[in-house]
Amino acid sequence: MKMLLRLVAGVSLTFLLAGCYESTSVTSYQPGVYKGTSDPLLQASADQRAEAMKKRFELVQMDR
Amino acid sequence: MARMKFLCDAERCIECNSCVTACKNEHEVPWGVNRRRVVTLNDGVPGEKSISVACMHCTDAPCAAVCPVDCFYTTDDGIVLHDKDLCIGCGYCFYACPFGAPQYPQQAAFGVRGKMDKCTFCAGGPLQDNSNVEYEKYGRNRIAEGKLPLCAEMCSTKALLAGDGDMIADIYRQRVLKRGGRPQSWGWESAYGTTG
Repeated sequence: MKMLLRLVAGVSLTFLLAGCYESTSVTSYQPGVYKGTSDPLLQASADQRAEAMKKRFELVQMDR
Repeated sequence: MARMKFLCDAERCIECNSCVTACKNEHEVPWGVNRRRVVTLNDGVPGEKSISVACMHCTDAPCAAVCPVDCFYTTDDGIVLHDKDLCIGCGYCFYACPFGAPQYPQQAAFGVRGKMDKCTFCAGGPLQDNSNVEYEKYGRNRIAEGKLPLCAEMCSTKALLAGDGDMIADIYRQRVLKRGGRPQSWGWESAYGTTG
């Protein structure tokens, strides 16, 4: 009987402790460093966009 | 390299608020949040001036400097964006911004501000370009489509200019030379400093 109680207690303790598990993949803070999701817009450099932006600017923003 | 900037020519702004309407419509901005607004100085007095104000995408952005969770990032061409998943709605950026650009939805109880929202220069946020989730969180990504901010593109008097700072400065210089008077590039020194 005692053995059975110990076994139940052991199994229960294991489950209880398992329930206290926390993910260890934390985001550590560093001042001034952006750690959010990467923006797909940043994959293309501003130089790559520059010509299209210039054309668009000349099309819609110039004084007529 | 191009450096994206806004400039509002106070001599041309007629306070029509089409920039405000265009912005709200394009990005489906919720009630209570105004990414752009028109401010009138000496309202009702002869010689009153109006200026369209939003995030100026500052060179050394004070919002980014004070953010306790560093949710801001800047693109190569100087557009200041932020990640709403990191934002904790503390409001520090609102106090730091000289233009009052950061906005909060105020939809939660007990004065909780919610995630900060501001002008994105129509460049969306850190999610798949022009995906539904990006549109819902940050609005349309016109930059990824090769377009400029709609507020400036819609401006009927061309008072509001958005694009490469050098091109904007050239246009403004020509205007001032033509009409005379002193240049009043409102907000440029605060946003971009004296060297740009």
